[in-house]
Amino acid sequence: MADAPGPGESLVKKEPDVPVEDPITSRSSSGWMLLCALLLTGTIVWALWDEAFGQRPWKGMQKAFVARYTRYLDSIKADAGKSEEEVKQSAEYQQLVAEEDAAREQIKDELAAIEARGKLTQAKLDAITDTFQNQRGKLTVINYNVETATGSAKDKYRREAEKKRQEVVEIELPSDDGKSVDTKKVNYAELEKLYDDLREQKARDLGQKAELLKPASELAKKKNDYLKNHLIGLGPAQIDGLKAGLAKYDYSILGHQISVNEYNIVDRCEVCHAGVRESLDIRPENMAPDGPGKTPDSWARAFVSHPNKEILAIHKPEKFGCASCHWGNGRATTSEVKGHGQHKFWLWPMFEKENTEAGCQQCHAKDRVTQGADTLNLGRDLFMQRGCMGCHRYEGFDRETDALASARQTIGQLEDQITGNEKQIRADQERSGQVEDNSEAQKLLAHAESLRVTNSLLAARIDQLNVQAKYLMQDQKKVGPNLKDVRVKLRKEWVPVWLENPQNFRPGTKMPTFWRFANAEEQDGAHMRDKDGEDQIKAIAAYLWQDSFSNKLPEQQRGDAAHGKQLFESRGCLACHSIGPEDSKIGGTFAANLQKVGEKANFDYIVRWIHNPRERVAPYCPKEKRDLTADDYAKKNLPFVFDTEQHSRCPNDGAELQVQNMTVMPNFRLSENDSRDIATYLFSLSSPPGYADASFMDDANLKEKGRLLIKQYGCAGCHEIQGFEDEQRIGKELTVEGATPIERLDFALQTKHAEEGLDPLKLRPDQKEEKPWYNHKGFFEHKITQPSLYDEGKEKDPKDRLRMPKPYLTPEWRTALTTFLLGSVGTEGANVPSSLFYTPEDQRRQDIQNGWWVIKKYNCMGCHQLQVGQRSVVMDLPFYQTAEGKDLLPPRLTSEGARVDPAWLLKFLHDPSLSGEKTPAQAQQINALAASNPQPSGSPQAAGATGPRLKPQPGLDRNGVRPYLQFRMPTFNFSSNELQVLVRFFMAMSGQQDPYIKEPLEPLTEQEKIAARQLFTSGTPCLKCHITGDAAHDEKAIAPNFLLASERLKPDWTFRWLLDPSQISPGTAMPSGLFRKEGDRWVINLPNPPASAANYHSDHARLLVRYMFLMGPDEQRQLLATGPAPPAAASTAPVQNHASKRRRKINYSHRRQIRTSSPGREAAVNLQSLISKF
Amino acid sequence: MKQTKVWLLLALGLSLLAMGSACSKGPTNEATPTPSTSATKAPPTADLGTISGVITFAGTVPPAKKIDTSADPVCGSENPNLTTEETLVKDGKLANVFVYVKDGAAADGTKIGEYNWATPATAVTLDQNGCHYRPHVLGIQTNQKLSITNSDKTQHNIHPTPKLNQEWNQSQPNGAPPIEKTFSRAEVLIPVKCNQHPWMKAYIGVMKSPLFAVSAEDGSFTIKGVPAGKYTVVAWKEGGADGTSKTMEVTVPASGAAKADFAFGEGAAASIAPSLKMMPAIEFPMLGKH
Repeated sequence: MADAPGPGESLVKKEPDVPVEDPITSRSSSGWMLLCALLLTGTIVWALWDEAFGQRPWKGMQKAFVARYTRYLDSIKADAGKSEEEVKQSAEYQQLVAEEDAAREQIKDELAAIEARGKLTQAKLDAITDTFQNQRGKLTVINYNVETATGSAKDKYRREAEKKRQEVVEIELPSDDGKSVDTKKVNYAELEKLYDDLREQKARDLGQKAELLKPASELAKKKNDYLKNHLIGLGPAQIDGLKAGLAKYDYSILGHQISVNEYNIVDRCEVCHAGVRESLDIRPENMAPDGPGKTPDSWARAFVSHPNKEILAIHKPEKFGCASCHWGNGRATTSEVKGHGQHKFWLWPMFEKENTEAGCQQCHAKDRVTQGADTLNLGRDLFMQRGCMGCHRYEGFDRETDALASARQTIGQLEDQITGNEKQIRADQERSGQVEDNSEAQKLLAHAESLRVTNSLLAARIDQLNVQAKYLMQDQKKVGPNLKDVRVKLRKEWVPVWLENPQNFRPGTKMPTFWRFANAEEQDGAHMRDKDGEDQIKAIAAYLWQDSFSNKLPEQQRGDAAHGKQLFESRGCLACHSIGPEDSKIGGTFAANLQKVGEKANFDYIVRWIHNPRERVAPYCPKEKRDLTADDYAKKNLPFVFDTEQHSRCPNDGAELQVQNMTVMPNFRLSENDSRDIATYLFSLSSPPGYADASFMDDANLKEKGRLLIKQYGCAGCHEIQGFEDEQRIGKELTVEGATPIERLDFALQTKHAEEGLDPLKLRPDQKEEKPWYNHKGFFEHKITQPSLYDEGKEKDPKDRLRMPKPYLTPEWRTALTTFLLGSVGTEGANVPSSLFYTPEDQRRQDIQNGWWVIKKYNCMGCHQLQVGQRSVVMDLPFYQTAEGKDLLPPRLTSEGARVDPAWLLKFLHDPSLSGEKTPAQAQQINALAASNPQPSGSPQAAGATGPRLKPQPGLDRNGVRPYLQFRMPTFNFSSNELQVLVRFFMAMSGQQDPYIKEPLEPLTEQEKIAARQLFTSGTPCLKCHITGDAAHDEKAIAPNFLLASERLKPDWTFRWLLDPSQISPGTAMPSGLFRKEGDRWVINLPNPPASAANYHSDHARLLVRYMFLMGPDEQRQLLATGPAPPAAASTAPVQNHASKRRRKINYSHRRQIRTSSPGREAAVNLQSLISKF
Repeated sequence: MKQTKVWLLLALGLSLLAMGSACSKGPTNEATPTPSTSATKAPPTADLGTISGVITFAGTVPPAKKIDTSADPVCGSENPNLTTEETLVKDGKLANVFVYVKDGAAADGTKIGEYNWATPATAVTLDQNGCHYRPHVLGIQTNQKLSITNSDKTQHNIHPTPKLNQEWNQSQPNGAPPIEKTFSRAEVLIPVKCNQHPWMKAYIGVMKSPLFAVSAEDGSFTIKGVPAGKYTVVAWKEGGADGTSKTMEVTVPASGAAKADFAFGEGAAASIAPSLKMMPAIEFPMLGKH
């Protein structure tokens, strides 16, 4: 076709040999068409499907929820009906039914009469109402005309009204028997009266009927209440109600969306988690796909009700939504991953289950203890106890140091101000002599005078701040021991061994492993030790050794280890300390395991420490920044005495001194002998191995390097170290660490591993699939488990390397600390508006939170139960698992604030011995007395009584309230600040009014006295168990002395206690059922009460409370003489005077102590020696 | 053109079908169902057998200690020879051992715990007589009434210290009516004390089934009404925090008798299972010597 026809070719067009195919007519394109059509259809179908289902996975879930929940309700309905039937069959319910029926039967006839009368009245009313209302309407119209008309028309209408009134209408009234109809003709006035009478009759009948029915309907209510109160779970009717609700289920998003405009919260979590707020307790197995009780799938787990309804009741979802606490993306509904916010660019990914309580921390960041958030509370405890706060600031923790810094700063400012004022005063005075004008001079003098007064006020303020500073210094504690004592406390050769790896020596110790110099293999990682690691240890040890006290301590001989063991196990040491090898240790984790003390420490020091751990070798003066010496005191002709009571100021400049060791360990008021026995026991558990030579510790050349290293590693965060008293924290502040953007968390060379889910630490060996950990949780967990991880493979200068040491962590602790850090997000990082943060306004809640800081600081819960359900450490010790053992535990303090007078509590917390031996002068006297009576030789207890002695122990060996307990409430030496906080805490916990004003008690009449005495002795044998001060009797006593009652207890509480002690303190030795209710008074629960009590017609329990509170020592002795007292009591000589009584008490406590010592000891000899001591 | 239309319609129809099937697809079930085990059935009443035996005590018998009753002269006068009752041995036979069927299944495979045992209407009595509890060890079924009486001329307080049941502590003066209590949950055994007389002790074994007995003074015991089957029988003796237990497998034939003799004491120490070793209790002199 393209060729032009050649010259010889015919012009006739030749048909081609083969016909050319026409692509349009001859080739089918249907294949392509089909493909396109399919694609198009497919796209449309996909789009429609995605719109309807793909983007709405919740639709299927909602249907499944309704189906499964209906099935579950059906499954429990049968049982619910049964339980309702059971209640209805019970005798009590039947009785109530019978009572109601009887009441109805009784009024039956009267009721029928009233109802018949009412029926007739109503019929009559019905018959005349229309007619009456018709007439009245007409009259009203006419009256309106009268009111609006003018002139003569008014009278016309008046006449018309009168005519209407007189008009007679015919009414058909039913007769009284109701059988016939009377026809009556009445005018308007008669009609109106009839109508009003009938109405009145009706109202009267209704009133009568209600009055008549009242007893029966009250009984019916009682019956229904009984049913309601005795039905556990839902009744069939309630279940039907729930099912009816499901039948009308709203299959939409909007119907289940929580929207809080005020806080801009929109949460759609309940679109899928449809069962969250159901009143029934829905568990996964209830919602299993194959029916209740079968194996649940992931949807069944999503359909459960909220596991903690109490928390939900406080944090109502209508106010807080869901994502405020749980995080995640509350608005997203298109997929689980999106809804849960598990995307690296979503700022608030949902907390994993184990870290859920991180959500609490957002708003409760200022709490020390958040009720119900146990993991979070543990995290806070660990942050404090394990010394994290030694390096890391966290707002609110380390309150004393912060307050002290601020107080000192203020003092400095005020002092500057005073100096400035003085200068101005001088200037004013000078100028007043120079000015010409008298009034000008007067003005200047007046100004100077006002400045002088101002200065005096400022000085008063400084005084106050100084007192505060003193208290704060007293309350300031360090997590680790005082390293100024290294030389007097430790074996020299042991120090480098410890530094090399503390966990090797004492697994679980608070002291972390400093991997940069520790000789410890990393788990599954490179060995990260610095090149000069070994030298670092030497340098640090040398510094500590050389800059340490080297005073001479009183020498101690070994004592009785068996007695020491008994004391150690029973006095309360185990509430904080543990003992035994790692795999079989018992006791608390608050303080160190003491199994290997003998390998490291100096015996003399440990005895002194047990005797009084607060006793400092020398006081530290923060103003001069040095430890004072005896010379400082000698120069001022003062004895080298320093304590918190009266000798807390510097002899040189009057500044408040650090007079105590900064330890939380309290003083157990043990005798020197007992202290020695305990130390002997501890030292009997291990003996020092052969240590390598450590003479390098005396090398002065190493000191400077050591100083730099101590500074670099921040040792002073946890320890007192000479020259580092004012050292600042070296770590990062962690108050809002959880809000750090992910890209600013330095995963270093682990980033790839984290993103791919490769875990070099294998934190979860059970976890099957690899899970990426490039998130906050992953970072924190790895950081606190193995801080060196993020230095691995990095080329860094030693000075730039990471410094954080490796702490000891259990998996539970790791989770707790991670939870705490994840929730530490501050205002900016929170997923909750700050207006919803928890900031208790009321004093009570503030008192409770303030108190928790102190309670936790001193581990009060190691011994005491402060909240119902909480277990103390000592409760779980093996010695207290028997029925008898439980009676030997420290008192429960669940209602302490309601029980005791706050003034008494303050006194007790200050001096738990209640001995009154507070001043050192008094104590010194006792000591002098003791020293002048040397103990007979041969007694093992007396063996160490030569050489310098330990300082006197006020309140020696006394338990103020419960001398029968082996446990001893130690003296904590709380400052006035902490005493106040504690008392207010206990009051607030029990919801008590502050201040407490004692109600005066009415004195007893003679007759009442006699009745009360009889109740006390022949009835309830109170003195059988309660202490009386009589040594023989008290041998078997197990309850406090009544003489303490009036000062110590509150009468209202005591009354409730007498009635049912188990309501206040479940498990107490005090029995219930001592009184029974008779009418509205409580009487002694005896079949044959004593005559005078039987004739006493008021409340017996109240009488006893009064008697108890007004009891004096004489009365008690009289009781003891008349009551069923032990025969031994008779032989006790009467008490002559106060002094002899006290001596007897002291002796008695010693006797007790001997009684508790190991068998085989000649108790009599000891007793003699001890008595002679006093 | 006609063909194309057909294809189009077909495709649309197919996709609609597919869509339909997609719509009807429910959630995937990941797990397999497990049979429910909550069913209970009435225990058999015919062909019941017995388990009986004798409890022996080998080795030195710890001597019974005399109790100092001086705290309450009434006790001293009523029962001057009061001694501890922890190990009562007569001719090598041990009394006050609580023997019970702990586990096992009847011949038809029904586990002992699956039977729905009836609560007896009769009450079990615990008497305080001569300042000790009588009996010293007793068994009771759950929800069965325990009637506590005081035959002494002094006041007592009954204080059980259970771990699984509600704790209570009730005072009972001389001449007071009996105290009636029940225990709702099985617990072996609940120690009972009296705070006023610290030596007074009783132990109550609370069982769902009636398959228990307490050894008599001659060490013998018989558990009656046992359905034929193979059981784990446990003998429990007081002492220490949780007592000492011995376990034995026993097969009871229909209407037959099975033997289960247990031995306690040092001589039998070899057979103590390691799990039953107790923590050493420290001595509290307050309770011991006085």
